[in-house]
Amino acid sequence: MNAGRRIAAFLVLLGLAAAARAQELSLSLAVGTFSASEKAYREIYGSGLPFSVDVWLKFKGPFGLAAGYGWVGDTGLAVPMDGGDAEYPVKFLRTSIPVVVFYQLDLKAVDIRLGAGLCAHRYEETWETVDLGFKGNKVSPRFVAAVSVALPGRLSLFGSATYDTIPTGAGSSLVNEINLGGLQLLGGVAFKIF
Amino acid sequence: MKNAKVFISVLLTCGLLFLSSFSASRGPLSLIRIPKGPDFPVRIFSRLQIDVRQELGSCLLALADREDIALLRRNGVRFSILARNTAERDMLVVRTDSPDALAALRSAGKAIAVEPGTAVFWTETGSPSEAVPTGLPRKVLSSRTVRVDLRPAAGAGRPAPQAVAQNPLIDMIVDLVSPSNLSSDVQSLQDFQTRYASTSNCEASGQYIYNTFSGFGLDDVRFAPFTFSGSYSSRNVVAEKTGETYPDDIVIICAHYDSTSPSASRQTLAPGADDNASGTAAVLEAARILASYPLDFTVRFIAFSAEEWGLYGSRAYATAARQAGESIAGVINLDMIAFADAMPEDLQVIVNSASGWLADRFLDAAANYGVLGATKTVDASFVYSDHAPFWDSGYPALLAIEDNPLNNPFYHQTTDTLAQINLDFFTSATRASLGLLAELAQPIKEGYPGTPVGLSATSVVYSSLFSALKAVRLTWSAQADAAGYNVYRTNSSHIDYIKINAVPVVGTTYSDDDVRTDLPYYYVVTAVGGTGLESNRSRQAGVAPDLSQATAALRTLSSLLFGGGR
Repeated sequence: MNAGRRIAAFLVLLGLAAAARAQELSLSLAVGTFSASEKAYREIYGSGLPFSVDVWLKFKGPFGLAAGYGWVGDTGLAVPMDGGDAEYPVKFLRTSIPVVVFYQLDLKAVDIRLGAGLCAHRYEETWETVDLGFKGNKVSPRFVAAVSVALPGRLSLFGSATYDTIPTGAGSSLVNEINLGGLQLLGGVAFKIF
Repeated sequence: MKNAKVFISVLLTCGLLFLSSFSASRGPLSLIRIPKGPDFPVRIFSRLQIDVRQELGSCLLALADREDIALLRRNGVRFSILARNTAERDMLVVRTDSPDALAALRSAGKAIAVEPGTAVFWTETGSPSEAVPTGLPRKVLSSRTVRVDLRPAAGAGRPAPQAVAQNPLIDMIVDLVSPSNLSSDVQSLQDFQTRYASTSNCEASGQYIYNTFSGFGLDDVRFAPFTFSGSYSSRNVVAEKTGETYPDDIVIICAHYDSTSPSASRQTLAPGADDNASGTAAVLEAARILASYPLDFTVRFIAFSAEEWGLYGSRAYATAARQAGESIAGVINLDMIAFADAMPEDLQVIVNSASGWLADRFLDAAANYGVLGATKTVDASFVYSDHAPFWDSGYPALLAIEDNPLNNPFYHQTTDTLAQINLDFFTSATRASLGLLAELAQPIKEGYPGTPVGLSATSVVYSSLFSALKAVRLTWSAQADAAGYNVYRTNSSHIDYIKINAVPVVGTTYSDDDVRTDLPYYYVVTAVGGTGLESNRSRQAGVAPDLSQATAALRTLSSLLFGGGR
């Protein structure tokens, strides 16, 4: 068994143990908007369309653990630095796996969660018409605020605000050191499993 | 009260003026040595604007006042002080290959070794040039701040040249080199008995060169007088064949015509056949031959004086050229090209790192036209001939010389006469030099399309978050007799051009999208006629690398090595 599989097996076991101790387990699905902190990102890709699916485990007491999978990406055009008029389409995709510890306030039908943790990102930028591109990965901090409003049955309305800072250490003609982080505002539904 | 205010104001103004004039003038100057190791902080040093007066292979020699010294210390640039309170006196760099040479130099004045085989020398009174012991090559320090090339030396370099791609017209031109002309010019110069600068015989030999140039029907022949070492004066002789396509772009072939011998005899006998009637005769022969060919670029044929005193003639010329903003594409300096210590003899071509392309072109020309072996040496410390002041002024220049180190027993002796010269080697060396000169100046070929003019290159960088693409847009002026154009590109200035268009370009613009942002690119274009005949190359145009992108590339590399990206 290689190291990656060992870590995955450990995480599954950890997840199952946590689930076994969990008082409450829910699944959220959300889409929204992403506002990058990097001006150059916004100039090329605008506001991205992020998508996220997360599992929320609430333990006895106010604390819980959340993990999930997120996706944000968009297409745009390379920026001419000296007034060129050619067009070079580019596309960007970032996937993220966060693990966050959160504190939950239960206010009757409304739950408010504030959390912080780490997030593993993989990112890739591709030029569509020329052989240029870049791939990278980074683990960086994540801060989350989420709210869910109970609906009849197991469903609830779900909203979250997520802030990432992702200094990549890489640079380009546009930016000395690229930070892929920013603010994500998501809305969707949550399903309470137990 | 009012008068007191006026008085105080005037006093304060005068005080401020005094202080500002005091701060504008430089304090006592020290001669300092700045080593150029692999850890030399190039970017920091470039910002400091230190008054460098000589670049050598392993160090820089600079004049620095207290402020400069404090600045160097603050920025962590290593240096050592060689001499304090050095007034603006003539100081020489002297070649001291043996401990005996250094000892002899120290007995003649103040000498400090600055790197193996090189010392700085000066005297408290009198001319340091006259005090240097016989036989030690010397160069006076530049009178102005020199242009320093701090790029790392080129790596392995190009493969060995092969005898290919001769230009038939240039082949014909070099075939016109006449051994009997060379021999007869050396004899004529030798017949002046001595050409030691400061003697009337030297001035008479300058007049002979002037008259000889004048007989060739060149566009301009003139004396360029200068003073040296205090109270002496002499004259460079400058002849010009003006280019028809690019009159303001200049190629120089030069040699010094003064000579020397031991101090007891040099005022009366210094025949200097190899050193350097040989180089001078080659310059005269090149002028005789090229005078009858129309050229794209201007060629100047220059005979320098006072080289043996410390390169005073070429220093005056190169300094004036830089001050006038002249565009000098390359300098071919011929100094001792006729003595063969062994057969087959080859020619040594010495350059600094910025002039490497010129040596490579010389090696190609030697293989193509000279039937001569040649060896390239990159050595910024070899500053003992007339190419060095051109290096100081930022111009590409080479020295062609028979041996390095010299192995001529008649060097600087009264026995350096025509009888010791190997005429075959001398002729081959002249052919190779003329071949390179003609390649650079480009004789205009009859019946071919005209050489394109007006080439300009501009670059546009397109950037995404992580990557960038550079496109270069070329434009040039239309040639009436052109059916199309070819575009050639290289990353090394002036050499190794490769055609990048598959079919001749119709129109006068071309966009090259296949370029990297972190490399320089140089272009030339040629015109192609209706029958397929191709013109000479245009003047080169280029685009510099995008430095911010190069820095970013380094950062990206660092992030790849130490985590973060692919």
